[in-house]
Amino acid sequence: MRRHVIAAVAVWVVLTAIGETLALADLYPTVGSSEAEDFDRIFRILIVMGMPVFTFVIAVLFYCVIRFGSFGKPSEDGPAYRGAGLGPRVWLAVTGSLALTVMIFPGLTGLAELQPDKSGYGWGESNAELVVRVVGFRWSWTMEYADAGVTVSTAQGKELVLPVDTHVKFEIESTDVIHSFWIPAFRMKIDALPGRTTHMTVKTTALGRFEDDDAYRVQCAELCGLDHSTMTFPVRVVPRAEFEQWLQSQKPAATAQ
Amino acid sequence: MYALFSVASGLGTGLIGFYLGLGLVAIVRGLTGHDAYDEQVSITFGYVFGLIGWLMGVGMWGAWGREWFGLRTYWRKAPGWQRYFTFSPDHKVIGLQYLVTFIIVFLLAGLGAMLMRWELMESGMQLFNHDQYNAVMGLHGILMVAVAVAAVVGGLGNYFVPLMIGAEDMAFPRLNALTYWLIPPVAAMLLSTPFLGGIEHGWTAYPPLSVVTDSSQVLFGLAVITFGLTSILGGLNFIITIIYMRAPGLTWGKLPIFVWSMFVTSWMALLYTQGFAVALLMVLLDRIAGMSFFNAETGGDPLLYQHVFWFYSHPAVYIMVLPGFGIALEVISHFSRKPLFAYRYAVGGLLGILGLGGVVWAHHMFTSGMPNYLHGPFLVATEAISIPTGLVFLAALGTIWMGRLWLRTPMLFGLAVIFNFACGGVTGIFLADVPTDIHLQDTYFVVAHFHYTIVGGEIFGLFAGIYYWFPKMTGRMYNEKLAQLHFWWMFISFNVTFFVMHWPGIQGMNRRIADYPESLENVNLFVSISAFLLGASFIVFVYNMVYSWIRGPVAEANPWAARTIEWQIPSPPPVENFPEPPLVKGHPYDYGVPGSVHAVFPGAATLPAGGGGGQ
Ligand code: HEM
Ligand SMILES: [Cu+2]
Ligand SMILES: [Cu+2]
Repeated sequence: MRRHVIAAVAVWVVLTAIGETLALADLYPTVGSSEAEDFDRIFRILIVMGMPVFTFVIAVLFYCVIRFGSFGKPSEDGPAYRGAGLGPRVWLAVTGSLALTVMIFPGLTGLAELQPDKSGYGWGESNAELVVRVVGFRWSWTMEYADAGVTVSTAQGKELVLPVDTHVKFEIESTDVIHSFWIPAFRMKIDALPGRTTHMTVKTTALGRFEDDDAYRVQCAELCGLDHSTMTFPVRVVPRAEFEQWLQSQKPAATAQ
Repeated sequence: MYALFSVASGLGTGLIGFYLGLGLVAIVRGLTGHDAYDEQVSITFGYVFGLIGWLMGVGMWGAWGREWFGLRTYWRKAPGWQRYFTFSPDHKVIGLQYLVTFIIVFLLAGLGAMLMRWELMESGMQLFNHDQYNAVMGLHGILMVAVAVAAVVGGLGNYFVPLMIGAEDMAFPRLNALTYWLIPPVAAMLLSTPFLGGIEHGWTAYPPLSVVTDSSQVLFGLAVITFGLTSILGGLNFIITIIYMRAPGLTWGKLPIFVWSMFVTSWMALLYTQGFAVALLMVLLDRIAGMSFFNAETGGDPLLYQHVFWFYSHPAVYIMVLPGFGIALEVISHFSRKPLFAYRYAVGGLLGILGLGGVVWAHHMFTSGMPNYLHGPFLVATEAISIPTGLVFLAALGTIWMGRLWLRTPMLFGLAVIFNFACGGVTGIFLADVPTDIHLQDTYFVVAHFHYTIVGGEIFGLFAGIYYWFPKMTGRMYNEKLAQLHFWWMFISFNVTFFVMHWPGIQGMNRRIADYPESLENVNLFVSISAFLLGASFIVFVYNMVYSWIRGPVAEANPWAARTIEWQIPSPPPVENFPEPPLVKGHPYDYGVPGSVHAVFPGAATLPAGGGGGQ
């Protein structure tokens, strides 16, 4: 018995060591916001912590199949362990504390950061340096830079332009069915609902544009019918000065000239 | 031809009922000054009357309806295979009716998956247009959900719960027949949605989309409501059967774990299924009666639907997976030749899931725009459910440890359930954690995760059960070589397909899309090819089943030397199940305990074959 335990633990350790390399792998799209940095970090932590749990199951399975398995009918019964002793209680204590420390505690702390405001509908601070009103409709978006009086749509501008190193707050609505406003490079989404304004605030951290990298796109992520899959909108993150210029160039007066 | 007669008369009266419904609508609408025909209203009433007509014609009238008018009831008695086409009260007939029907539905829906993967091989549109893709996607989803909810419960549950508890039949045999015969209309309605334009709202049917889309939605809604009805009635039947019809001596502490899983699943079905039905009824009323439950402009709220819907549809994932766990644990104990480890804790785990399963639904709505303060409680409840689920793993791993593992096909599938669900469970952590879910929600990461849990946990369990009980149900043995081939082929291609599928999700490929960015072309091609291989593995299965059922070698009564009651009687079991009512003495899983037996037949001359520990 002791021999088997030691051998199975060895299998577990080896499998875990192999599995943990997944945490080093670059599985993620381009990082465009500080929220994306958080996501990648938390995702890696979850891999690191979840992997031993996964490999524990796999190690016991493999070990038992290889050591105790046979294709012919076993000639005798196994030992009649019923598992009524201490074992299950230890198991409960371990899984219970894992649930608390690996999942519930980090989950709640992460959530508290995402939702400084408990009464709203959305992610991040409600104050921001730039506010963009987003309206989803079948099957495109309009973006309104309210302070500057600029509106961007498929017909006008054709691009969501944002300044870098800025807290941008999106206020999101829909005029027909439910859509979802998602920018993969920012790792954040929230649904666009008729009759309710949701919001999400991101802090842009890197320059980028859709032409080079499709993680810089608004993608509808809630099935909305016929052209849902192509309900996208290009995103470009530019230096602040360039952003101001661009905004000026989009002003109705400027385009009218 | 009894078979033909039975089904044809059902179709005939069904059609009469349908036109009756249309006629009634036409009269009422005509009298009130509307057009006589309105697609949605007419279909709705035609369907309701047609459904009643179908049931009566197919045999419910003779077996049940006549009683309401003080007439003598009768059953249509058909010989041989033809009885599978009649309204039969025998739980074994009904079990096979369910099983075969849902295998066919499974294959059809699987074909849909193949078509989707064909379209997704390349970026851009090749096979379908957007509309057709959405229709196939939604149909695949709802058909597979139906398979996952009902194939094990309705098929293997119906067949084996009465046998395993030593009962002659289910508590309400006519109700049981009714639950099965409601299924063909559900399938017919769903399969005809493409003719009215195809559903474009997936299997979840969120309004406002489901309120404004074409009238194939009405077919979908009526089908789902009917399906909910069969689940609820079936659940009720199982609960009463398991509470009141156990053999003498079969205490709760000796109940086979598969029966426990059916018991818990049935409670889930009974408690929550109305959520799905009511959600779609509300959509239907929004559509045909202008109720405006979900229309924000006139005071409704689209999010209301999601709460009601997930109130069922989260528990539904446990309705899908608990029977898989039940079969896996059952098989693992018999094929490890060891008692089920920590049996009481495993049962506690199932009950814990039943308790917590009802309070986690809004984890599907973390990005829905529901109020912020709701996220925390649902996050905690969701993570907490890992504790009772862990007990199931404890039971499985504790049982195989130091066991005498007999690696026949049922055992391999049973072990695969544990393997796959470990993966599905760990990826679930990423989705239950709000900071990671807000990127991953509605992406292929989710698609991979739920296929790991549903296919990996439940469909693998279904196959474990089919192989395990095949000799009992048919009296013949399947071909072990082909079965092992099927297992390894399916296991490997399943894991390759769905493990790799997580990655495009992280990269930014959202789900339910007919088209995706070009940068993801390679990985999608890879996943598609692997999915085709997965699809092909079922050809081996179907061939093995059909051939072995007709030509396979005759099976012994108890080829696995298992201890539970169903193995102590001939294969296939006689109509009345037991020559003598069994008497339960010991625990079902007491392998390695000298002299212990689970059940005896006190009146029978000889002790039945295969009882007791390893001979
Ligand atoms: C043969 C293997 C299978 C393959 C290759 C496959 C593939 C797919 C694909 C490509 C989708 C569309 C994903 C999306 O865009 O959301 C999908 C959706 C889905 N599949 Fe499967 N599938 C398979 C088997 C199954 C099985 C066995 C079940 C359940 C028992 C199932 C249940 C579902 C559900 C519920 C959906 C969601 C549909 C919706 O969003 O409305 N699938 N599957
Ligand atoms: Cu959309
Ligand atoms: Cu859920």
